[in-house]
Amino acid sequence: MTSRRFALPPWAFSVIFAGLVLLLIFAVSGRPDIGSLVVALQLAPFLVIVGLGQMLVITAGAGNIDISVAAIMTYGGYLSITVAEATGSWLVGLLAAAGMGILTAVLSVFAIFVVRVPPIVATLVSGLLVSSFTLSIANGFTGTADASLTAFTRLQVGGIPVFALVVAVFTAVVWAVLTFTVYGRQLLAVGQAPTAAGYAGIRTNAITASTYLISGALAGLAGGTLSAYLPPNPTMGESYLLDSIAIVVVGGTLIAGGRAVPVGVWGGAVFFILLDSLLNLVGWDKSGQSLLKGALLLAVLLLAGGGSKAHALTRRPARRPTSPDESVPVAEAAK
Amino acid sequence: MTATTSGRSLVRIAALPRGFVRRVGPAAIIAIAMIAIFSYIAILRPALLTYPNLSGLFATAAPLVFATLAQLIIMSIGDIDLGIGFFIGLVSAVSATLLSTDTLLGIVALAVLVLGYAGVGYLVQVRSVPSLVATLGASFIWLGLGLLLLPIPGGAVLEWLRSLETWLPPIVPVPVVIIVVAVALVWLITQRTTFGVRIRALGSNPMVVTRAGYSLATTRALAYGLAGVLGVCGGLVMSAKIGSGNVAAGDGYTLLSIAAVILGGGTFSGGRAPVWGALFGALTLSFVVTLLTILRVPGEIQSAVQAAIIFAALAGRIVIERVAKS
Repeated sequence: MTSRRFALPPWAFSVIFAGLVLLLIFAVSGRPDIGSLVVALQLAPFLVIVGLGQMLVITAGAGNIDISVAAIMTYGGYLSITVAEATGSWLVGLLAAAGMGILTAVLSVFAIFVVRVPPIVATLVSGLLVSSFTLSIANGFTGTADASLTAFTRLQVGGIPVFALVVAVFTAVVWAVLTFTVYGRQLLAVGQAPTAAGYAGIRTNAITASTYLISGALAGLAGGTLSAYLPPNPTMGESYLLDSIAIVVVGGTLIAGGRAVPVGVWGGAVFFILLDSLLNLVGWDKSGQSLLKGALLLAVLLLAGGGSKAHALTRRPARRPTSPDESVPVAEAAK
Repeated sequence: MTATTSGRSLVRIAALPRGFVRRVGPAAIIAIAMIAIFSYIAILRPALLTYPNLSGLFATAAPLVFATLAQLIIMSIGDIDLGIGFFIGLVSAVSATLLSTDTLLGIVALAVLVLGYAGVGYLVQVRSVPSLVATLGASFIWLGLGLLLLPIPGGAVLEWLRSLETWLPPIVPVPVVIIVVAVALVWLITQRTTFGVRIRALGSNPMVVTRAGYSLATTRALAYGLAGVLGVCGGLVMSAKIGSGNVAAGDGYTLLSIAAVILGGGTFSGGRAPVWGALFGALTLSFVVTLLTILRVPGEIQSAVQAAIIFAALAGRIVIERVAKS
């Protein structure tokens, strides 16, 4: 068992790394140029929205992960524009994108709980299904996003992007729900010990399923808003899949579930986006960016370690008869 | 008395061994699916059954087969590898650049890559980090290295590697030989050696590995190293097939390989390494694409059909497992 040598909060690493990268940007550009931070805050909200959904799914524990977010985002981007043009209301467009995300998640949930397919495959399958819709809508796509929505996603007041503030408020709401509501505590309990949570009367499957629905809706919203900020393309959501998992983990959320750190999602997102701008500034191409991103992710893991619940995916309930030895947690045996 | 015991043992011999259905069932189902799809292809396009076309069919499938075998090793120890796709892409880039200009340097580079893979496994064990995130981090590095070597797809692969793909020996096509030999070797290693038992024990019950006097870190690193070797083979085969290097070409293999292992009877909880099932899973997923192309299914619907087939195969398998259990 790891002892708590540091009293740092779980999101500290992501924020420290983001700060370091910002200082590096200042050093490279030779002046405290706050512009790069503004750009990061402009781009981060989209990643944060997806990341929050991914965080909730991961928090439900034991191998829960949402692979379908990339496909939902891309399709959501096209769908919101199409629906908004048809109805004349950007709000209906965004709602359509969110609803599509929920429908996709319903499919994943059906596959996970009724057919009992592992989440990673179930969400992969529903994502593949959605991406085929995307390709048919993207062919010869001419729509443009509602001008007022585009203006809103780009609006800055006093140098601070308003959209970032909105998402920050939403992040606070997520934090409050996790901390103060029965639903939030139940979700954390399910992530920490599903069997115990079940014995305590929590409907574990319903709680886990709800996280997928929320994640689907958020991915749809992220896609809908992103396509207003930038014109959509068929690979729009792709990088958001791996990045959403990475920032959640860098932010201190346990991949094994049971600990959600909404603030860390922000830290991780800003860190990743600042990193991109730093490397653009230095003139590194995509290869250098990718290399450094990977190296830093591994460095964070090396420093922070995974704690006691490392092998999340092995911690599924054993179907074979258990011997006394098997009740020893994997990581403890590893010591 | 003796009569009854011999009678009992007779019954036991006649009945299937315990857990036989559970172990063989998934592989058998996916094998049937594979044969069904292959037969459908054969009926639609008898011309594909000619020797060179058949060779091409398996050559297309070969990289996914290697990716699946690598994923199988990682999943048999209870981990997940999100980096194998870009790793295969990276190897194809090495094959098209370093390996073809300076063979020795290329071989050294590939060996270093395998060591890197083992290093990821070591990190996963020693720092108890989740494999999902560690391999995700590694995948960024593979992609970055690949783009560094080969910013745009291209380069030229070694002449003999290229000719391996076009060479048509009598009786059996080269890709089939490569696939069968690779699968048989992995089967031998995982099922018939102490090292294989060690790997599977790490997945099902790490305590056994420590009690047997082996280091968990070394075992995990070796398992990742073996996956790395398979990834290198996959990358070389892919570069031979496309005649150049392309980092991005391997991207799709990551998630498909996971699906193939699951289709073949593998589990996320580890401890099982159904090698032949994984092969059938990979071939099925590869044949489906060929079939859909023959049927002129538009590209946009192909992934949906692929998804439906993965889903149907899994659902069928789970229903049969339940029936077998009851």
